Amino acid sequence: MTSAAVRVHGLWKRFGQQVAVAGIDLELPAGKFIGLVGPNGAGKTTTLSMVTGLLRPDQGSVEVVGHDVWRDPVEVKARIGVLPEGLRLFERLSGRELLAYTGRLRGLPGAEVDKRATQLLDVLDLAGAQHKLVVDYSTGMRKKIGLAAALLHNPEVLFLDEPFEGVDPVSAQTIRGVLERYTASGATVVFSSHVMELVESLCDWVAVMAAGRIRAHGPLTEVRGEAASLQQAFLELVGANGRDAAASDLDWLGGGAR
Amino acid sequence: MSADVTGVFVRLKLSLLVNGLRQSGGRRAAYVASAVVALLFAALQLLGLIMLRGHAHADTVVVILVAVLALGWAVMPLFFPGGDETLDPTRLVMLPLRPRPLVRALLVASLVGIGPLFTLCLLTGSVIALAHGGPALVVAVVAVPLALLVCVALARAVAVANIRLLTSRKGRDLAVLSGLVIAIGAQVVNFGAQQLGASGLEPLDPAADVLRWVPPASAIGAVQSVSEGSYGIGMLQLALSAGALLGLIAVWSRHLTRLMTSPDGSTLQAAGESAVRERTSTGLSRLLPAGRTGTVMERSLRYVWRDPKTKAAWVTSLAIGLIVPLFNALQGTGSIYFACFAAGMLGIQMYNQFGQDTSAFWMVAMTISSPRDAYVELRGRALALLLITLPYAALVTVLTTALIGDWPKLPEVLGLSLALLGAMLATGAWTSARFPYSIPQEGYKNVAPGQSGLAWISIFGGMIAAALLCAPVLAVTIWLNVSEGGDDWTWLLLPGGAAYGAAITLLGLRLAAPRTAARLPEILTAVSKG
Repeated sequence: MTSAAVRVHGLWKRFGQQVAVAGIDLELPAGKFIGLVGPNGAGKTTTLSMVTGLLRPDQGSVEVVGHDVWRDPVEVKARIGVLPEGLRLFERLSGRELLAYTGRLRGLPGAEVDKRATQLLDVLDLAGAQHKLVVDYSTGMRKKIGLAAALLHNPEVLFLDEPFEGVDPVSAQTIRGVLERYTASGATVVFSSHVMELVESLCDWVAVMAAGRIRAHGPLTEVRGEAASLQQAFLELVGANGRDAAASDLDWLGGGAR
Repeated sequence: MSADVTGVFVRLKLSLLVNGLRQSGGRRAAYVASAVVALLFAALQLLGLIMLRGHAHADTVVVILVAVLALGWAVMPLFFPGGDETLDPTRLVMLPLRPRPLVRALLVASLVGIGPLFTLCLLTGSVIALAHGGPALVVAVVAVPLALLVCVALARAVAVANIRLLTSRKGRDLAVLSGLVIAIGAQVVNFGAQQLGASGLEPLDPAADVLRWVPPASAIGAVQSVSEGSYGIGMLQLALSAGALLGLIAVWSRHLTRLMTSPDGSTLQAAGESAVRERTSTGLSRLLPAGRTGTVMERSLRYVWRDPKTKAAWVTSLAIGLIVPLFNALQGTGSIYFACFAAGMLGIQMYNQFGQDTSAFWMVAMTISSPRDAYVELRGRALALLLITLPYAALVTVLTTALIGDWPKLPEVLGLSLALLGAMLATGAWTSARFPYSIPQEGYKNVAPGQSGLAWISIFGGMIAAALLCAPVLAVTIWLNVSEGGDDWTWLLLPGGAAYGAAITLLGLRLAAPRTAARLPEILTAVSKG
């Protein structure tokens, strides 16, 4: 697998004065479990939105599986699945209705949609809540139904923005299982997170982002390098090491001083 | 200790007021302007009430005014649960407070603000209008604070009794629908006021006779009774108000204690609501066309029923579209052409289609990759709207015609309605793509801050354009009506209007589709605000 799943070139986005993404060049290999890591406000969500065609970049180009996202949306949209962060779902539909709606909008035949929906609901532990409105779902259930909607048309590349944020450990394990099975079959997963341990345990390829730029990218072992963990490597990359020494001002805090 | 708590709460209320002003210049200006208007209004009322002194119906007016004021206090916390943060006692749950000092402190804190000041002005004016003689003055001095306290305690009791409801999802859905009660209520009040304007104040006397025994109006009624020398009745009325105050405080205090010592409604509601919605409307989906069209229609129709904002907008449109032509026809002032109102009001629902999706529009955006997809999407939404609108507009037109009895005009009015509906759908589709704006899901607002200009352009520009687009049909109607022998041909306006409406809708959708497809990220950004 030498072809790139995603090719980003010179990507820029400004919101007023603030530069959210400051010139990203990146090639994400196909068939890998890819983690996009960085602190809050690093530009991960903005980048993923631009890559998936939900946000128009100021400059730069994005290609997904060889097709330009902005010039060739027909080819791209059929091949990608997306789970954005901070955007709603059609919450006044039940879980099953949401899947039926999404699948049919994607142009899949009705019977096929219903068959896939049943299987996804089963695998993701949502069968019991399939007739409940999504507005009454918990955070974990929402992420799972969003994942099901993103997988329904069997995309080649799956983009997930903070898929584990606010998700309970049981749901997280379920999501993880589904994603691992999906990548094992040769598909690509790109997901963003600020939890390094998670990325380290899941991904075989990472890109580290901070302040709108890519600081490092490559296979996990390469990015981690000499450091003990990805967390350590990351702190060194963004220059945030050694800040914990400043805690001496809080000398009253704790049991000993009471 | 308790005086301490009271002081803290009064200072908290003042800080909240002041900090509210500090947030932005615009907000400060709005607040100051509304305060000035409220106080001016209060001063004018005070003046008016003082001038009312000695008028034959003074007691009727005053008693009803106070009763309406109390009603206002009772419903206010239902409509604006977020309006006063000290109204929400669940914010104080973590503090070590005893119920009794807490109730006292909250009650005193509620007396700070424009609302209580406004009420005080009105009550003072009321007793000035009614009090005659020394004993009445003494009663008045007791009655004013008593009535004010009853109002405030009423608001508090209602708020706390409903806080469980207001913090659950179902309750918030209801709160959104309550805006609708105001909209339709205003129409009914308007109708009533017109009737009253014709016949004077006398029909109100029986109502006032009942209300003068209902607290807090009974406290004001007591002033009137004592002025007339009936001391016993006056004392009884005053006692009623005092009893009501104690009762309200007791209810409030009990609810408050229960609220603050049990888990809050938002965590409870999930348990009770696990009732399964098995009955998916497969019947409906079987009737709809296959493919994207049917899918979009089904989702749109489900949202009309299930989404509180969409439902509120629809019910308002349906109600006003019916009330305006029918009430006008009933009053004998109506024209049969008012029946077009139904089509016009429902056509508004086509405006800002994507704003109604909220940020969930991304799910639609991900599946639109060509103008053709966008066209089918918009056409599906228009068809869903027509499924309700066509029979409804026909019904309203027939009813209005029946009331006025001008059957020969039915075809042309129906034709005009259809042409108008078509023009609204066309402009609605186009402005949906060109001027989308977001509709906040919480609260009573229908436009996110900073987008009201967009909303105005979208709705009013669209409506003017729709009216202009109707001009040809309108011109033919007028021409047929004024020209000699034209009446024989007005039936032609029905097929003509229908064909024109259909053609212009298709044209509007064709023009809107490429715009929608080209502007997906911009639309998503616009509808995701707030």
